[in-house]
Amino acid sequence: MRLRWARGRGTIETTTGPRASEWLGLDDAGNPIARVIHLEGPVQTEHGVFRAIALDQEAKLIRLLPLPPADGDWLAVIGGRVVGRAAAPLAAVRRAEAAL
Amino acid sequence: MSGTPLDKIRNIGITAHIDAGKTTTTERILYYTGVSHKIGEVHDGNTTTDYMDQERERGITITSAAVTCEWKNHRINIIDTPGHIDFNIEVNRSLRVLDGAVFIIEGVAGVQPQSETNWRLADRYNVPRVIFINKLDRTGADFYRAFATLKEKLDIVALPLQLPIGIEDQFVGVIDLVEMKAIVWEGGELGAKFHDEAIPADLLEKAKEHRQILLDTALAVDDAGMEEYFDKGDVSVETLKRAIKTGTISGAFRPVLCGTAFKNKGVQPLLDAVLDYLPSPVDVPGIKVAAEEGEEEGDHQRRIKADPKAPFAGLAFKIINDKYGTLTFVRVYAGTLKSGDSVLNTTKGHKERIGRMFQMHADKRAEIKEVIAGDIAAFVGLKDTGTGDTLAAAEDPVILERMAFPVPVIDISVEPRTKEAVEKMTLALQKLAGEDPSLRLRTDQETGQTILSGMGELHLEIIIDRLKREYGVEANIGAPQVAYRETISRTHTETYTHKKQSGGSGQYAEVKIIFEPLDRNEGVVFENKVVGGAVPKEYIPAVEKGIKVQADTGVLAGFPTVDFKYTLVDGKYHDVDSSALAFEIAAKACFREGMKKANPIILEPIMDVEITTPQDHVGDVVGDLNRRRGMIQNQESSGSTIIVRAQVPLKEMFGYISNLRSMTKGRASFTMQFHHYDPVPRNIADEIMAKSA
Repeated sequence: MRLRWARGRGTIETTTGPRASEWLGLDDAGNPIARVIHLEGPVQTEHGVFRAIALDQEAKLIRLLPLPPADGDWLAVIGGRVVGRAAAPLAAVRRAEAAL
Repeated sequence: MSGTPLDKIRNIGITAHIDAGKTTTTERILYYTGVSHKIGEVHDGNTTTDYMDQERERGITITSAAVTCEWKNHRINIIDTPGHIDFNIEVNRSLRVLDGAVFIIEGVAGVQPQSETNWRLADRYNVPRVIFINKLDRTGADFYRAFATLKEKLDIVALPLQLPIGIEDQFVGVIDLVEMKAIVWEGGELGAKFHDEAIPADLLEKAKEHRQILLDTALAVDDAGMEEYFDKGDVSVETLKRAIKTGTISGAFRPVLCGTAFKNKGVQPLLDAVLDYLPSPVDVPGIKVAAEEGEEEGDHQRRIKADPKAPFAGLAFKIINDKYGTLTFVRVYAGTLKSGDSVLNTTKGHKERIGRMFQMHADKRAEIKEVIAGDIAAFVGLKDTGTGDTLAAAEDPVILERMAFPVPVIDISVEPRTKEAVEKMTLALQKLAGEDPSLRLRTDQETGQTILSGMGELHLEIIIDRLKREYGVEANIGAPQVAYRETISRTHTETYTHKKQSGGSGQYAEVKIIFEPLDRNEGVVFENKVVGGAVPKEYIPAVEKGIKVQADTGVLAGFPTVDFKYTLVDGKYHDVDSSALAFEIAAKACFREGMKKANPIILEPIMDVEITTPQDHVGDVVGDLNRRRGMIQNQESSGSTIIVRAQVPLKEMFGYISNLRSMTKGRASFTMQFHHYDPVPRNIADEIMAKSA
């Protein structure tokens, strides 16, 4: 399913303030139903240091990965679920669209 | 220098492993840009940038050479650098002052050891790079295998902008993935003529696949490009080039092009890539001002941006002496300077008056009256400016970030054949050492011999040859020796009293010094913790001088002592009999006594060695390395050959090439470069001490 993609949040609040890049996949009505997201820089939490991250619509953490995964650190997310990873946002977009 | 706007200037270096084709590529660039009217060849000894006699005779680049050319209304200043590890200082200082680099790797061997070293140097100075996979016409060339070594050995995101059409003797051109077209070179005209055509049908699918990778990777750094892609399903060539340039400058990925410079294919698109993707002086963040003492280095450091109207700031990065005098090469980072102006050498704290200024074209020069931000020029008439010194306007006397110089690992003793030539030789060697910061000169305190320290046997051989040819000094040289160092392995406090008070004017000085070991490469550090004037302030420099002089002759075998800290904590003086000389003598003796009790050790250079050998000789090669105290790091197969990597003490590597040849019937080759200093084993230390006794 092809979506219309738009820029999401450029900055996401985290304790250490790294920059996140996010693209939102919008349906015909303009509602975000998918997202691809990538976090630059590690996030330090009380549980350790994480290199990749996924967040839901309310910016709640839904997945933390200790190292950039070999298959890429751009995460394709639908709802609260990570449906794929890729090394680049366009490839992650294709993963998200393929999963819909 | 000229009316070229700053955004149309490119200051680039060409760097690679030895024999990857740097000089050959530079020669084609000069031909295609109309600077030269015929192509010189390395094997014919008639290239523009290899102008020294030794370079032409040996077919290698020894010194970096600057040339300038024009391409599509842009001015490109190019520095062609040597590939041999012995002349690494040239790569180091060139990369320090360049805004971008073309990094050449060979299409047969891929990334080689010296490629890795140069790559790390470029990383150190954050130099944006485009990669050119060269020699695709050679038997055994394989673009995809060479490309794979970029990821394996350099751990980078390499991004092909081109794919080859054909390979080896069938190599005819490239597929341009940005514009999705084929570029094919025609015969004759030395490659100056080429035409665009449709991508061959059998390569179309592969081209589409790689273009998608290009879009995926490049647009990740360009949000506007992503939006354009989502909107239209593709992006314009202009957008894609902008994204590639952004990623190249930030280092997010490294664009890869290909061709064969020797067979005149692929060089013109490489020049286009230099304009499209490498930064102009205004595209880079600016050079950092050196951190203050005690200040941590980081992003907070002030940067000097390229601005012709700002106060002048430039870095002297190369000195050469020729029959016309001393030429100081300067990269201008900010401001404008005219001949006759004065500037401050902020590193040394004195004023310099600029005499004449030249734009250099290898060994030829064209006088210019003015330099502006972004230029590279040579100044004549500077009295005391060395490599790495900053020249700056008095109203903003900044010191730019310093250059790091490699550690020399080989010593030779040198003495003139006649007594009359002593002074001439000393002056000549001082001039040569002034040109080359990787060459060190010292006098052995015990034998009085002049010792030259350099990066390798070839480096020192060239210096001795230059001594003869350029300065007319015939010298006898000793056999190359390992440049051992001494250091200490535990802390010790020593007190020494120097006392000669037997009538007449006497001498009295007492010093108490703590000697502590430091980590490797930390040098010699001094701290003064004297309180209450136990050692008067005016005598402190004499203590420092005494230790500095004595540290040149270590207590075990007379090698320079490094990596230790000495803290002057206490002392005594006499109102009448104390003097600077007395404190210097006391410090020297304190060093000799103290070091002996601080568990002194001898350090030796350990080299990274890479041997490429046919499979059937691997056993012999590895066994031989073990006998040489080598530590095998890994082995890797590449076709029918095996690459063995090991760390071996330099002492065991003298004359290795003849052994390797006889072991492998001449089929193996090796490269080596300095890695680190390590303590020598006890039995070797005993041998070294016995020899020096």
